Amino acid sequence: MEIFLQLIYSGIALGMIYGVIAFGYQLTFATSGTLNFGQGESLMLGALVGLSLVGNIHGGPYLNYWLMIPLVIIFGAFQGAFVEWIGVRPAIKIKSEFGWIMSTIALAIIFKNVAENIWGKDDLKFPSPLPESPIKLFGANVLPMEIVVVVGALLMMAAVEVFNRKSIYGKAVVATSNDRDAASLMGINTSAVITFSYALSSVTAAVAGVLVAPLTLTGATMGAVLGLKAFAVAIIGGLNSGLGIIVGGLILGIAETTTGFYISTGYKDVPGLVLLLLVLAVKPAGLFGKMAIKKV
Amino acid sequence: MLNIENLKASYGKVEVLHGVSISVPKGKVVTLIGSNGAGKTTTMRAVSGMIKPVAGKITLGDRDITGLESHQIAKLGLAHSPEGRRVFPTLSVLDNIRLGAFVRYTNARPKGDVEADLQRALEMFPRLKERTTQLAGTLSGGEQQMLAMARAVMLNPEVVLLDEPSMGLAPILVEEVFNIIQRLKAQGVTMLLVEQFAAAALNVADYGYVLENGRIAVHGPAEKLKSDPAVKAAYLGGH
Repeated sequence: MEIFLQLIYSGIALGMIYGVIAFGYQLTFATSGTLNFGQGESLMLGALVGLSLVGNIHGGPYLNYWLMIPLVIIFGAFQGAFVEWIGVRPAIKIKSEFGWIMSTIALAIIFKNVAENIWGKDDLKFPSPLPESPIKLFGANVLPMEIVVVVGALLMMAAVEVFNRKSIYGKAVVATSNDRDAASLMGINTSAVITFSYALSSVTAAVAGVLVAPLTLTGATMGAVLGLKAFAVAIIGGLNSGLGIIVGGLILGIAETTTGFYISTGYKDVPGLVLLLLVLAVKPAGLFGKMAIKKV
Repeated sequence: MLNIENLKASYGKVEVLHGVSISVPKGKVVTLIGSNGAGKTTTMRAVSGMIKPVAGKITLGDRDITGLESHQIAKLGLAHSPEGRRVFPTLSVLDNIRLGAFVRYTNARPKGDVEADLQRALEMFPRLKERTTQLAGTLSGGEQQMLAMARAVMLNPEVVLLDEPSMGLAPILVEEVFNIIQRLKAQGVTMLLVEQFAAAALNVADYGYVLENGRIAVHGPAEKLKSDPAVKAAYLGGH
């Protein structure tokens, strides 16, 4: 029982990371109908940039972990805006339906190659800002950093939600998601909103990267698998449901840790992906996905 | 206030407007009538930057707005209540109205007393006042039309474009919409009104243009158009 609970804890932490990345997919999909298929690479770059600041690999450490996070946020914002500007905007401009898919994948591969050249091909250890000995929670072990991951992920999503609901700029983002042409008529610069949503999406991924890095190994290849699984989470939960990605993330994360322990680590990805196939067959809009309200 | 000179616009390779000229003087209501497919909505869309004109010149006050982006044109004071209302379905009624004043909240246009204007808009549209927290997507067609108009006036605009405000509404609501247009006119709001209900539009307007196949066929003071035999036969027949 204790082990089971422990697996649930790790599954929740992992699931929240998937959830945050999936949240990033939702942000850009809402405003532009496009996604950054290099979202996993945004996470990877955030983690490695963070590592360069707090680790001893590039002559550091230069900063303490918590002070590094604002810099990673700035980096993530520029990285996301860059992806939008180079990869997505040209496709939107010519109304290409699929151009952005290839260009964001191409950028993802380029980012991975660049990372391999700067940080090497081997996985690196990310120093943990908190004690690495587990603490007891309801009788089972949990790592302090796992709690930070869960709290951090929820805080990020809540912050975006509050921004969207309370500020006029956030409402402009929602308006752009509802109806881009009508939003323009209100004087909202919708291209700027789309750039912003890409920046924000990469910020959440980059922060997720430095949150998860102390729990895993950090390296150029860490992003691809996370990005793909988070995409599965976005599909399972629904591309327009905030609750869906949290639930979807938790299902996938817990399925993975429990299968890995009780069956075989070789099969740990199977249950989640089987669920993905089931959802696509039975409820293609996702478990919590809803059809847009349309009334004439 | 708003001047459209020799406007040409096309969808793809098909030219829809072949040189349309319309003048909307300050404080006046001008209506653009014509049958389906004549190019009324295209004219509106070209003015507010939703499509790029192929040729011609559009000026707002003394600013040339030809070819500008919609959001830039809105900042210069042109409000467009588009065909089909296009309210933001997942936002509340109040948030929709606030977004009408987006350029004022963000100081891209003089802010003025935006909160007082918000209250005034709610007084003017009592149906909306009862539903401020309701999601706009759950409103009836008539309520959505009121919302689209409230949103437009919140810009504190120099000119309002109203595209088919009566479309798909029950007769009693059509009457309500025209009453509101009348009240806006009394407040001195400059409007360009596109309507299929030509008779009602000519009743509220000072001046009218008749669009046929992408060209202005006739134009003149609304009173005069109402008694023009050709206009009567084609657009006012039976009413």
